[in-house]
Amino acid sequence: MTLEQPTKSCSELRRAQPVFRGLEAGHRACQGCGQALAARLVTEAIGPDVLIANATGCLEVFTTAWPQSAWRVPWLHSVFANTAAVASGMEAALKAQKRNTKVVAFGGDGGTFDIGLQALSGMLERNHNVLYVCFDNEAYMNTGVQRSSSTPHAAETTTSPPGRERAGKRHLKKDLVTIIAAHRIPYAATATVAYPSDLRKKVRRGLQVEGAAFIVVHSPCPLGWGHENALGIEVARLAVQTGLYPMIELERGELVGAMPIREVHPVTDYLRLQDRFKHLFADDPRAREELEHLQELANHNIEVYGLRAQKPDRFDSEGADTVRRGGMRTA
Amino acid sequence: MATLTRGAFAKPGTSLQFKTGDWRLQRPVYLHRNAPCHVACPAGEDPQAYLARLAEGNSQAAWETLVAANPLPAITGRVCHHPCESSCNRGDYDEPLAIHGIERTLGDEAILHGWNYPVRPLSSDALRVAVVGAGPAGLSAAYHLTRLGYRVSLFEAESEAGGLLASAIPAYRLPRSVLGDEIARLLSVGMTFMPRTRLGRDFTLDDLRADHRAIFIGVGNQRGRQWSVDGVVPRDSRPGLDILKEWLSIGSLPAYKSVAIVGGGNTAVDLARVLKFSGIPEVHIISYRAVPGPGVAAEDVMRATAREVRQAIEEGVIIHEHRGVRRLIIRGERVAGVEMVHTKKLTRSAGRRETVEFEGTETILHVEQVIPAVGQEVDPAGLEMLLAGHPFLHPDSWGRLEGFEGIFAGGDVREGAATVSDAIGDGRRAALAIDSYLRNSALPASQRPVVRLNDLNVNYFEPQPRTKIELLPVGERNAEREIEQALPLSHAGIESHRCFSCGECMSCDNCWTLCPDNAVLKTLEETAAGDHYVFDYDYCKGCALCAHECPSGYILMEPEP
Ligand SMILES: Cc1cc2nc3c(=O)[nH]c(=O)nc-3n(C[C@H](O)[C@H](O)[C@H](O)COP(=O)(O)OP(=O)(O)OC[C@H]3O[C@@H](n4cnc5c(N)ncnc54)[C@H](O)[C@@H]3O)c2cc1C
Ligand SMILES: Cc1ncc(C[n+]2csc(CCOP(=O)(O)OP(=O)(O)O)c2C)c(N)n1
Ligand code: SF4
Ligand code: SF4
Ligand code: SF4
Ligand SMILES: [Mg+2]
Repeated sequence: MTLEQPTKSCSELRRAQPVFRGLEAGHRACQGCGQALAARLVTEAIGPDVLIANATGCLEVFTTAWPQSAWRVPWLHSVFANTAAVASGMEAALKAQKRNTKVVAFGGDGGTFDIGLQALSGMLERNHNVLYVCFDNEAYMNTGVQRSSSTPHAAETTTSPPGRERAGKRHLKKDLVTIIAAHRIPYAATATVAYPSDLRKKVRRGLQVEGAAFIVVHSPCPLGWGHENALGIEVARLAVQTGLYPMIELERGELVGAMPIREVHPVTDYLRLQDRFKHLFADDPRAREELEHLQELANHNIEVYGLRAQKPDRFDSEGADTVRRGGMRTA
Repeated sequence: MATLTRGAFAKPGTSLQFKTGDWRLQRPVYLHRNAPCHVACPAGEDPQAYLARLAEGNSQAAWETLVAANPLPAITGRVCHHPCESSCNRGDYDEPLAIHGIERTLGDEAILHGWNYPVRPLSSDALRVAVVGAGPAGLSAAYHLTRLGYRVSLFEAESEAGGLLASAIPAYRLPRSVLGDEIARLLSVGMTFMPRTRLGRDFTLDDLRADHRAIFIGVGNQRGRQWSVDGVVPRDSRPGLDILKEWLSIGSLPAYKSVAIVGGGNTAVDLARVLKFSGIPEVHIISYRAVPGPGVAAEDVMRATAREVRQAIEEGVIIHEHRGVRRLIIRGERVAGVEMVHTKKLTRSAGRRETVEFEGTETILHVEQVIPAVGQEVDPAGLEMLLAGHPFLHPDSWGRLEGFEGIFAGGDVREGAATVSDAIGDGRRAALAIDSYLRNSALPASQRPVVRLNDLNVNYFEPQPRTKIELLPVGERNAEREIEQALPLSHAGIESHRCFSCGECMSCDNCWTLCPDNAVLKTLEETAAGDHYVFDYDYCKGCALCAHECPSGYILMEPEP
């Protein structure tokens, strides 16, 4: 049926959407925020029956400008360092009440790689039945783009400015997944907003397993990374296609899956879109060396995780985002 | 109104009270733009639209969408030079869609299943319109006029409809049964067909004007152009088209050991192939222009359909490109050969393109006969007033003839038209123009902008080779068996999924999935734009992410009003 005017208003339509969305519009994230998208996709895959503990950070701030909340599921703000501990307590309480409601913890990279790491380690060690999701935008964004241990090597932040001494961040991005793997938890994975179906699949898997699960989602930040608002997905896709952000899955610490890269892009395709790497394109030998360094880091990832596709398949870096007429990209 | 709570808690989903739409500097809009295949189709088809219906699994709806523009898809699917495919965006990615194969399959399916043309019965007070000539131009005009509610009388000089389709295009590329079936179906949609009535012999334009409100002239060009070499014409030389027509109607062909055909159009190529199939060992084509191929400028290519030239060469026809005939070699009364010379079309003074012959490049070709196939012109009988001494008519793009209100023309009578799809498009546009003239209403508005490859996001598509269309092996070809084979319906369906849906929503859900602000809503009902998505501008922040990630270029960012 064709209608001149939709018979339903937007607010009526919003109530009649075909899937439940735990994160509502009206939140205060920046235009094109990758973390807002990531959180929405993750929550969508979880469904309504959940309790969420959320560390301090952009996600917490932009979804809950008092007295409003963008959450449509029970949600609790923990302090910066203790999300995993709070989620552990929630899980224990629900268990005592013999309830099956899922418990999920959300944290930024600052809240996960750095300040919440020991609480997270404890939660994993005790193997609480909690899914911990880290939204990795590779810096402390909410306080104005300070470097974290997740910030990539050579990236500019306000606390790793390129200058005479250094071309951006001196240190490497922390290999958190290997730390997580050492806890030998049932399930751990990396994911990205660029491949929503893959992300949702991993979330469902993380909820399915009995015990602790961990997913880190690469979430572009237009403000902090200095890319155009419209290019978040493009940037995230290139992070995978260059090998800089490998898509992997681990069970009990063992690698069980990796998204093959069908066409490996040079890292410059990814870096060039972002102002945080702008200094690497200066006519300067150190900049050239750092570009080579980043390329070798990508090559290293491709080698250790065996990322280069042998032959095209449906789930590789080109196939995994293929759309179909008639859609329902909720699968 | 914000709901204040007592403690440090908030009600679920209350952020909806805060309209982030205020932040927006630009807004996304859903906008149907034109696919290049549509813009390129002279008949006015929109392949994107019918490929979509086919991909949805509805071949009848696909055919109905197709025949909303072109009522003869089983025919054009076989004979059109398909510029749609040359301009297909997928061609710049891997290979163009096999649009003509799908068009043909849909046409054949309609014949097989007897699907009805989407035409409503005429009202008793329908206005009368005359169409002269039942070639593709006249048939198209008559069909579209009938669809628009006019009572059409279709006058045809010959005993059968079809024009050159019936009288000149051989069966190896247009089987008689397909031609007959499709035209018979078309003639029965509600028009009155009057065979064996010739304008200029049986009636005049004034006769027509007396009882019709408008007239469409689609008589083609039937008269062979005069041809000689410095005034010399070979003995019993006849225009190539006459030989081809005679063969098609009574099956007789001249028997030589070798012939040279002068010209580079479809007549030259078809006649050459027919003669070759009949067993003549040596058949030459001499053309001013070049054999089609990569890098050959459009204005330099032989006029014949590229595919047919390719097949003719496979079958052993010898083409002398960029050659002209300098001299006929006559021994006694008979032709013994021709002297050829290298030629090029060059732009000379005042931008005029002229064929230049290069001295010192002459060669001799020994043949028993030379056949001109150098083009046709309009037979002026009955059209003297409209032609006013010119060889062709010059209607505007809507078929209107300046100074002759109520008379419209199109197809081969128009200077510049040369193909079946040109003729069909001319007939369709003239029907619209007649309707607007009789109703005193405006003509359809101008075109939408065109979507090119870089307006799409091809990350979301997978490379997939074009579905192969089989050809008869050269050794098995003859003048009767169709050379190009059908694309089975199932293969056509698979091929339709390769379409990028340029400029039109394919309901992939990408925008709905990827908006960080939950500002894209899905609807079950179709919206005015014809899709199933709505932007909620109360919350859209204008990041343009949806527009960038739309695979088919259906979302445009506009400055905020
Ligand atoms: C050998 C050959 C091969 C071709 N191959 C192709 C091809 O592969 N692809 C392609 O696109 N095009 C091809 N063409 C060109 C194509 O056939 C024409 O462009 C097309 O048929 C023109 O359509 P029309 O309706 O304008 O004219 P026509 O097809 O010529 O039809 C005109 C009709 O009007 C009738 N008529 C003429 N005078 C009168 C009168 N005074 N009163 C009443 N009726 C009259 C005629 O009998 C005829 O039926 C080919 C042409 C030839 C000659
Ligand atoms: C203990 C403590 N230290 C510092 C802060 C200040 N603070 C609030 S948000 C934030 C940055 C969070 O960074 P991250 O976890 O990466 O999340 P993002 O904002 O980048 O999403 C900081 C440092 C705080 N709230 N609590
Ligand atoms: S991809 Fe489809 S819509 Fe686009 S030009 Fe080709 S056939 Fe037309
Ligand atoms: S992605 Fe969402 S917020 Fe961004 S422009 Fe599109 S509808 Fe608006
Ligand atoms: S993203 Fe997909 S669903 Fe949205 S407008 Fe484009 S084609 Fe349609
Ligand atoms: Mg961060």
